[in-house]
Amino acid sequence: MKEGTKKRMWIPWLMILPVIVIRCLTTLYPVVMTFINSFRDLNIINGGTGTFIGLKNYARLLQDDKIASSMQFTIIFTVVSMIFHIILGVALAMMLNMKFKGKKFLRTIVLIPWAMPTIVAGRAARWGFNGTYGFVNDLISRFVAGFHFDWLVQVDTARIAVIIVDLWKDVPFFAILVLASLQYISDDIYEAAKIDGAGALRTFWSITIPNIAKTVMLISIFFTMWRITNFELVYAMTSGGPYDGTSVLSYRILIEAFNNLNLGYASAIAIVLFLLMLLLSGLNLFAVKKISD
Amino acid sequence: MNQKLKKKLLAICQWLLAIIGALIILIPVYWIFISSIKPNTELLTSPIDWIPKHFTLQSYKTLIHTVGILPQIGSTLIVTTLTLVITTVFCVLAAYAFERYSSKGLSLAYGMIVFSAMIPGIVTARPLYDYLKSLKLVDTYPGLILLYTSALIPFTILILRNYLSGIPIDIEEAAEIDGAGHLQKIMFVTMPLLKPAVSTVCIINFISCLNEFFIPLFFSQKIKVLTIGISTLPRANSYDVPWDLLSAMGCIILIPIIIFVMIFEENIMEGIMAGGVKA
Repeated sequence: MKEGTKKRMWIPWLMILPVIVIRCLTTLYPVVMTFINSFRDLNIINGGTGTFIGLKNYARLLQDDKIASSMQFTIIFTVVSMIFHIILGVALAMMLNMKFKGKKFLRTIVLIPWAMPTIVAGRAARWGFNGTYGFVNDLISRFVAGFHFDWLVQVDTARIAVIIVDLWKDVPFFAILVLASLQYISDDIYEAAKIDGAGALRTFWSITIPNIAKTVMLISIFFTMWRITNFELVYAMTSGGPYDGTSVLSYRILIEAFNNLNLGYASAIAIVLFLLMLLLSGLNLFAVKKISD
Repeated sequence: MNQKLKKKLLAICQWLLAIIGALIILIPVYWIFISSIKPNTELLTSPIDWIPKHFTLQSYKTLIHTVGILPQIGSTLIVTTLTLVITTVFCVLAAYAFERYSSKGLSLAYGMIVFSAMIPGIVTARPLYDYLKSLKLVDTYPGLILLYTSALIPFTILILRNYLSGIPIDIEEAAEIDGAGHLQKIMFVTMPLLKPAVSTVCIINFISCLNEFFIPLFFSQKIKVLTIGISTLPRANSYDVPWDLLSAMGCIILIPIIIFVMIFEENIMEGIMAGGVKA
């Protein structure tokens, strides 16, 4: 195999050609175009013709109140959601790792939210959080008599509702990924701790947490990136409302690019988002290096 | 005796936790299901009837006759099937090349694929739309399949390459000594060994295809897949939710997915975890 590889190096290149061509055409080329467009006047409704206007799109971005509020909610959404992802995700992973008869049953159920299209979950949630007919108020009012609340009408509670649905849909997936690293911890360590007289809480802090910390951190970075760039849930559930209160940054790009047809401006926001992603993946690489050293 | 009691208590706690977790996940799904079979008059009641009094398939009939869900199911299946076949063929070849050959250029190409996976779809959507439009690929099956395939490539290559690195190269070398050609070697020696990884990746990709919303939302108007169909159900006004049709359509999408997940639980778990550990 090693001999003669030099001569036949065209073989592997031929084999990777299709995937390289597809990825270049559908991701790298458009990203470059977005970058170029972000310096042009492409406000199609106002007759923008594509002349280069330097940093004007970026300058406008700094003064746009809507961008500021989108940025604010994107950060709130990501941070709050990630904190709960880690807490609930680790808890659920430990449940999935328990040795008991219902394991298979629980594992199957946990896959349902993951396998469900976000658009279905989001549309159902729009109705589920409805003040009068939704099931959320219905369940609460069975414990708290006369409970009534219009979740999606006020900004704060609409934000809470979006985060709850996001957690419902994605914590199980997070937990499965954590489960993988839980299964790597051998039973011997737990046995040894038991013999040494360590209690359940002590075992959790001194054995479980250190062993899964690395994985949890890496998954968290990926989940964070996904939260920053995703708009599907918001699109399906609140359409960015009420009063733009839940319009995340990526949803704002969608509106500027496809509804307001201001391509230059949309590109500038997109580039900011992309730089944010690069920053995070840089952080990711750094973390991987630091951990494996 | 004390030990036995403790064990029993632990088992009860475990079950209790498991049931609470399961209920949180299942109640919304159950609510969607009962809403889809209730007659319209009983749909909008407060409090909700958790056990429906009457049963009807009216919503499903409307979906078939008025909304035209059957063509949507058809186009979803066409796009999904072709995407899975093309993705698998291209990615098996690429994963093989990346794993079994090494050169600076190849690792650069691999790095490019990993990097490109970091680019959010929303960043590329608009230029990609204009570009595909100039190629007359917007709103066509080839265009959709191209984009679906592209979206699956990084994950699929990652998993397949990972698995391939665990297959010893000796087997292939033995085949080469026996006089097998390059293509023969891949087809008859490596491929059969890759089967478990290929099936796992196909199962997960199948779900990804069904869930895909971003691509059809931007790049097709006439060809409607199910995820687009459910977001464009006819409604009386922009504040109204057509909950009868929505819940029925939700069920049409969910029931096959739930059955699928029940059958392939182990493969899916394995695949997700394999991707996660490497990531």
